[in-house]
Amino acid sequence: MNPVIPAPVPIPLPAPAWLVQLLLVFTSILHFVPMNLLMGGTVILTISNYLGRRDSRHRDLARRAARAMPPVVAFTITLGVAPLLFLQLLYGQLFYTSSVLMAWSWLAVVPLLMLGYYGIYWFNLQQEELGPRAFWVMLLTSLFFLHIMKIFTQNMSLLERPQEFFAMFLAGPVGTYLGLSDLLTFARLTHFFVASLAVAGLGLAILAGAWREEAPELSAWARRYGIRWFMAGTGVQFVVGLWFLFSLPAEIRTPFLGGDRLSTAILGVAVLLAVLAMAAVHKSLAAGAVAIAGTICLMTVVRHLARIARLQPYFDPRTLPVEGQWTVFFIFVVVLAAGVATLVWMLYRFFRPAVTRVPSE
Amino acid sequence: MLGGGLIIGIIAILHIFVSHFAVGGGLFLPLTERKAYCENDTALLDYVKSHSKFFVLLVLVFGAVSGVGIWWSIGLVNPEATATLIHVFVWGWAIEWVFFLVEIAAAFIYYYGWDRLDPRTHLIVGWIYFVAAWLSLFVINGILAFMLTPGRWIESPSFWTAFFNPSMLPSCVVRTAVSVALAGVYGLVTAATIRNVALRIEVVHYAAKWVLVGSLVIPVAGLWYISTLPPLAREISMGAAPAVTIFAGLSIFFSVLVVTFTYFGPYQHPRYFNLTFAFLIAVLALSTTGVTEWVREAVRKPYIIYDYMYANTLRLSDVEKIRQQGVLKAARWVRSHEIDPDRRAQGGEDVFRVQCASCHTVDGYNSIRFAVKGWSPEMIEYQLLHLNELKGFMPPFVGNESERRALAAWLQSLNPQPRMLEPAHPGIKAESGSSDAPEATKP
Repeated sequence: MNPVIPAPVPIPLPAPAWLVQLLLVFTSILHFVPMNLLMGGTVILTISNYLGRRDSRHRDLARRAARAMPPVVAFTITLGVAPLLFLQLLYGQLFYTSSVLMAWSWLAVVPLLMLGYYGIYWFNLQQEELGPRAFWVMLLTSLFFLHIMKIFTQNMSLLERPQEFFAMFLAGPVGTYLGLSDLLTFARLTHFFVASLAVAGLGLAILAGAWREEAPELSAWARRYGIRWFMAGTGVQFVVGLWFLFSLPAEIRTPFLGGDRLSTAILGVAVLLAVLAMAAVHKSLAAGAVAIAGTICLMTVVRHLARIARLQPYFDPRTLPVEGQWTVFFIFVVVLAAGVATLVWMLYRFFRPAVTRVPSE
Repeated sequence: MLGGGLIIGIIAILHIFVSHFAVGGGLFLPLTERKAYCENDTALLDYVKSHSKFFVLLVLVFGAVSGVGIWWSIGLVNPEATATLIHVFVWGWAIEWVFFLVEIAAAFIYYYGWDRLDPRTHLIVGWIYFVAAWLSLFVINGILAFMLTPGRWIESPSFWTAFFNPSMLPSCVVRTAVSVALAGVYGLVTAATIRNVALRIEVVHYAAKWVLVGSLVIPVAGLWYISTLPPLAREISMGAAPAVTIFAGLSIFFSVLVVTFTYFGPYQHPRYFNLTFAFLIAVLALSTTGVTEWVREAVRKPYIIYDYMYANTLRLSDVEKIRQQGVLKAARWVRSHEIDPDRRAQGGEDVFRVQCASCHTVDGYNSIRFAVKGWSPEMIEYQLLHLNELKGFMPPFVGNESERRALAAWLQSLNPQPRMLEPAHPGIKAESGSSDAPEATKP
């Protein structure tokens, strides 16, 4: 059956496809970092809260680390807006179709996100008052976020398979696709989930550094504990990553395994950086973090190359007409620079307060 | 069952109610904090702190997530229009994203910074929040206003002609005033919970002033806004479509109630103000927001982007082509691209899905079964031929004759035929329909 793909809108792209792709990859990286911290962070907090019933270190860890979570949720959402915008610009006709085919699932992201976000706040603000119930709040919150991750993975996978759209439409009813039997999507989800545990572990180890003065023992222990999560997550990822890689169709996998030099090099360096991060992290968290940030960047590029390859027979955004809106783009760049400068200034003032306020004089 | 319009409507109205507070509240916080410093009023400062917690919990969570919800719902219900907006405004949206980012970061730093930042820096962060939030409103408002009044963009498409469209500025003033009024409404809710009686009286009176000042500007800017609307949009709201007119009237009615209750309640008698009263005003304000936004959406009909794309995502520039080749041939998500005489009902249903399902469901919201109940075959035929003339808020039927007849047959099959008409029209068959003016519609 010939693939049925809606036509792109008859309005030229406001910038060349390569620039939009670059922005898509760049902003995806910005989204993936807090998203990993959020997913893995909720799981680690849930476990620590449970273990904290008997182990005071876990209890203290859960209490302190929970404070960092609301901004992590906020920035996962905020930084997710931009990649979704650029994705719609380039691949809108595919993204909308896959979204409509799984409409009810896709729409469920909104209430699940709302519940998960309030769950994070509830846990953060009332951990003590909740007592043993705090574990259940956090467990449910983790499951909400995991379900959101599953829905996203399904949609991003489905949009790469336009050849299946029409059969799904005919099978109907439209909007009810759940994709439970798709093994490749499951491998992809596991790959993302395991990555999130490793990244959140590293994040915890870094966060623990901020507790050094107030609680030196907890800080040192939490650092080791976070690194253990990172090592375990990254170690397991070598197996899961291979499973995911070999679940991909041969024509997509081959370029990354010697078929194309650049693709192979990008994947190879990404894996090498992960190995280096594992070797370095015990001695220097910063070195480990830089190396794993490199892995995240390159893996996001790999993900995009795989998407281009999977869509190659059906759609290539480089064929779309272009009429650059350069003045507005320039304003965007200026606003972005000013926005980043404002963020840096606010964070600088927040973490290095000039004067400590005396409360309510 | 729900229908796309209803899903968008529910999410959008709640989002608007909170997002305008996100802007107005962003002004309320630093101004009230400044007032507390100037008057050396520590009790008032404590109130601002507790209000900022309420603000963060509502705005950062519900406001942000419901905003995402609008993206989700418009992409599902009207992908073609969403894609068009993204192509025209992608850099505008990217700019808005930067404001959003700064806004969220500033809100956190403001909330967590009460005991970490010196008062001056804390106030500056409050102002940064407000400026970013208002600029975010400024950009989104331009895109929203474009859908109703695309103005010169139709002839000379560019980002600038689209963004600086005729209703952009008045709409921005209205929304800013609404933000100020809603900041007062939410202020009343938190003020009503203050235990210190003297402070409660002070803050209740102060918050009431915000409601009244914002509400004074809204009607003036509102008239300016209405003056920029297309004539058909004004007609629809002023009698051409009774439901819309009723909602427009309700919008004025609820607004008057909000102002009256606020003036005679918290403004005149702040001492007797309580949380129940505050919720009453909040519910009235939410009702005002709901009906007003519903009217704003309704008057845009029959278009989703005025003079460019009909509510069923059909571009005006494609109408003639589709009339000639047929709507099923142009559509992708249909079971057959031509009407199969043996499966006319299925073809008619496909035509319904392509042309009508953006607004109508079969049995749920805006039910088509209910809409055509009691219609004779001629009536259906006549309506389809003159849809846009008979119902100004509906697009014309666009398709070839066999498609129109298949749709008519399918619509007719939804209800049992009206018995009253049968004796008067013994010769009528479901498939006849060449008559332009059926007897049933003549006096």
